[in-house]
Amino acid sequence: MVVRQYNEELKYLEKINAHCWKIKKGFQPNMKVEGVFYVNNTLEKLMLDELRNSCRPGMTGGFLPGVKQIANVAALPGIVGRSVGLPDVHSGYGFAIGNMAAFDMSNPDSIVSPGGVGFDINCGVRLLRTNLHEKDVIPIKEQLAQSLFDHIPVGVGSKGIIPMNARDMEEALEMGMDWSLREGYVWAEDKEHCEEYGRMLNADPSKVSLRAKKRGLPQLGTLGAGNHYAEIQVVDEIYDKFAAGKMGLERLGQVCVMIHSGSRGFGHQVATDALVQMEKAMKRDQIDVNDRQLACARINSKEGQDYLKAMAAAANFAWVNRSSMTFLTRQAFAKQFKMAPDDLDMHVIYDVSHNIAKVEEHVIDGKLMTLLVHRKGSTRAFPPHHPLIPVDYQLTGQPVLIGGSMGTCSYVLTGTHQGMTETFGSTCHGAGRALSRAKSRRNIDYKDVLNKLESMGISIRVASPKLVMEEAPESYKNVTDVVNTCHAAGISKKTVKLRPIAVIKG
Amino acid sequence: MSKLNSKYLIVGGGIAGVTCVETLAILHPGATLIIITASSLVKNVSNITFYAKTIVKFDVSETEASSLKKIHPNLHIVYDSLRHVDTTHKIAYTDGGIEITFEAICICTGGIPKLISDSKKISRIIGIRDTESVEHFQEKLRNGRRMVVVGNGGIASEIIHAIRGIEKIWVVRDEYISATFVDPGAAEFLQDSVKNYQEKQENTVLRRHIFSEEDKLVSVNKNLKSAALGPDWYRKLENVISSEGKQELEIIYKSEVEYVIEKENTEYPLYVKLSNGKAIECDFVISATGVEPAVNFTWDEEPVFGKDGGIAVNELQQTSIPHVFAAGDVASASWEHSAHWFQLRLWTQARQMGAMAAKAMHAKINKEDVLQDFCFELFTHCTTLFGHRVVLLGKYNGQGLDKKYEILLRVTHGHEYIKFVLQNGKLQGAILIGETDLEEMCENLILDQIDLTPYGDDILNPDIDIDDYFD
Repeated sequence: MVVRQYNEELKYLEKINAHCWKIKKGFQPNMKVEGVFYVNNTLEKLMLDELRNSCRPGMTGGFLPGVKQIANVAALPGIVGRSVGLPDVHSGYGFAIGNMAAFDMSNPDSIVSPGGVGFDINCGVRLLRTNLHEKDVIPIKEQLAQSLFDHIPVGVGSKGIIPMNARDMEEALEMGMDWSLREGYVWAEDKEHCEEYGRMLNADPSKVSLRAKKRGLPQLGTLGAGNHYAEIQVVDEIYDKFAAGKMGLERLGQVCVMIHSGSRGFGHQVATDALVQMEKAMKRDQIDVNDRQLACARINSKEGQDYLKAMAAAANFAWVNRSSMTFLTRQAFAKQFKMAPDDLDMHVIYDVSHNIAKVEEHVIDGKLMTLLVHRKGSTRAFPPHHPLIPVDYQLTGQPVLIGGSMGTCSYVLTGTHQGMTETFGSTCHGAGRALSRAKSRRNIDYKDVLNKLESMGISIRVASPKLVMEEAPESYKNVTDVVNTCHAAGISKKTVKLRPIAVIKG
Repeated sequence: MSKLNSKYLIVGGGIAGVTCVETLAILHPGATLIIITASSLVKNVSNITFYAKTIVKFDVSETEASSLKKIHPNLHIVYDSLRHVDTTHKIAYTDGGIEITFEAICICTGGIPKLISDSKKISRIIGIRDTESVEHFQEKLRNGRRMVVVGNGGIASEIIHAIRGIEKIWVVRDEYISATFVDPGAAEFLQDSVKNYQEKQENTVLRRHIFSEEDKLVSVNKNLKSAALGPDWYRKLENVISSEGKQELEIIYKSEVEYVIEKENTEYPLYVKLSNGKAIECDFVISATGVEPAVNFTWDEEPVFGKDGGIAVNELQQTSIPHVFAAGDVASASWEHSAHWFQLRLWTQARQMGAMAAKAMHAKINKEDVLQDFCFELFTHCTTLFGHRVVLLGKYNGQGLDKKYEILLRVTHGHEYIKFVLQNGKLQGAILIGETDLEEMCENLILDQIDLTPYGDDILNPDIDIDDYFD
């Protein structure tokens, strides 16, 4: 990492409009394209404070500020356009979370990087609507939450057990939501409202290690990884009546269910396995990167192809997870309201992926190009009339689902033409945070504990807070700031705000 | 002599046995399933919370064995004890004279407490392991003034924590408390919680089943064959407080009990001599020094036993006799362990083994292939010690690392204790005490073996929030 004074660093950054900053070449070595990030006033201060903080003597720790990570990505071979930081950008492994970047498929040097997808491959959000009103749900909120809970995690006698053995797993990895459909867990129309119809066709389970398969195989009666959650939400505000209407969100107080899930441990293993292979491939193909965590391989190399096929299998696995939760949610509502799920109008509004790499066509400088688009902590947001979005949303643009962190507000947005040209049809994915945050600072006293441990004869290091900014602000990037910034910058458009009334952890 | 036929026969009503029954009920609902249990109460796992893929917390309670039938109509419960297994002809014989045929059998007979040597002669030495001994303990506690607690595992720790209103002398062999679970640093952290125990009764709402009068243990068979305690057993004791006793705790480190003798006409009925030369008089001695595998029956042909005296099992919980499986405390994990797993006789592992045995038995009967469950890739245990949530992961005490490791630590008194065990910059194990929210990240860091060298100490810098950094 280049170490410069903060004032020197600022010379490489330029505010190009109220919501957008440019990162010029030279900010980090070998930048092939420029970087860009989207902020409002609050988020801007967080971004710059984070950078200033990292310029202090002794602060060159292992965690790079988001703006440096965006610039390092701009130095990867084959990148086109710009390396884009969305408003919720924050430090992550390799790529920052909230960073998207596209690579030219026709350039033989272009790379694919697991760090640009993330470990929790195809972590995403799905939104189901109902025709219920808040007042229908409030009196039985507890029972409903409880019955969702009963269904989602485990339990003998629970109707919600979705058994999966090793053979089912292979099929699910290959087929994605087609597996869920074949097994009767979802409706055919659910697929229409998923990116890629809930199945990546290039998935190849044979490229997935046995360890990954074992790691993904759910414990009996569970949905796999554990850390899934669902929220029962109600429509709190409608910004775009037409688009909301197309999604079946007609009135305030209407009840929805938001499902959050990904591939968790399975994705972790796929990414880890690929990182090991790619480190070797980088030596062989002499690929240089600014940060070792940006391990990558040429798209057309064996390592690159193997990763893309395994990643697609992990993406399919995540769709199966969200589909299983959809099934259980419908069952729970049906049971509580003694009505069939279709009479409750429990349709999937949309399903988005946050951590994924996909081959897409984009127009760069007036020329149509085929690109491998990495979106990490970033959501695809295609504009109206785009051929890859469902018929129902041709006039509105693709629905984008933004989950707040658990228990805060969530949003539904739509994609815009401006986003298509500026950010490869991408927008934010949720809340974020700067590297440091004041609220976790703690009073630390080790003496007694250290005395006791020293007798073991082991080298001991102690993690302590370094002095951060004197006036350490709340560094949390809240979801409303993030969504409003995307709206103001024109890369996505606000449609509906949702407010949670119950959170169910699985 | 009555005769019964089964496809699956499970012996033992502890966590392993009941988990095995429950799992088989899901996998093979139509098959005949028999469980032999000595007690009318069996262990039941509830309130399962996933902190991550392999980190699971659950509550153990007891339930009427008969309640299992509600969920598994094909289950037949035999209240009896196993006497003899004829593995050749696949027949089991009980003490009560019942003959049961099986296609596959799973031995889940648990463990028996290792008692200090004089315990057989003296009734005032109480071995705490099963629910029955807790009943006994409760009686004693009502009129005791001073007790000696021997042992350094979870149960001894909880007794010290839960019992009030009586003088407690805790004799531990190690240099620090709770040695089975934590390191000396964590012990120091926890010890503060013991000292700072507030009189205020915490108003915690227990979502789970709590014992009531009708739950009083009805043991059908008085021979010691009932199962291990659950993590919440001590709640039974919390309201039993001796009126006379002073609240006092003394810990005697690096010491063991040499002998105990009963005395008459003295203030205290027991005289305890310790290996450090010290003598203590007390009302009773609690022995909570761990368990030994319990095989209280005979075989026509013995399977291979492991070094620790348990029945040796492979990665599918199968013994050296193909249709005989074993799970829980009675089993000795004799497969080649993965880098971050080892056997410790805990409820967590009993549950994992019980489920694994069920899957393997089902696969064997149906001639299917089965993979070992991923939970055996990483040692995890989630418990509560002195009121704090404690999560243990991997080689949390540097087990088997031959002192070639580093510790990275973060402590906030009364709040959190986080210890990373690092070798060559990679995380090998961790202790997480308190609400740390680091469970899933640590699980992934251990399983992925990501090189953490670039981050240095910042990986635990409290100013840096990294719970989604590796997402």
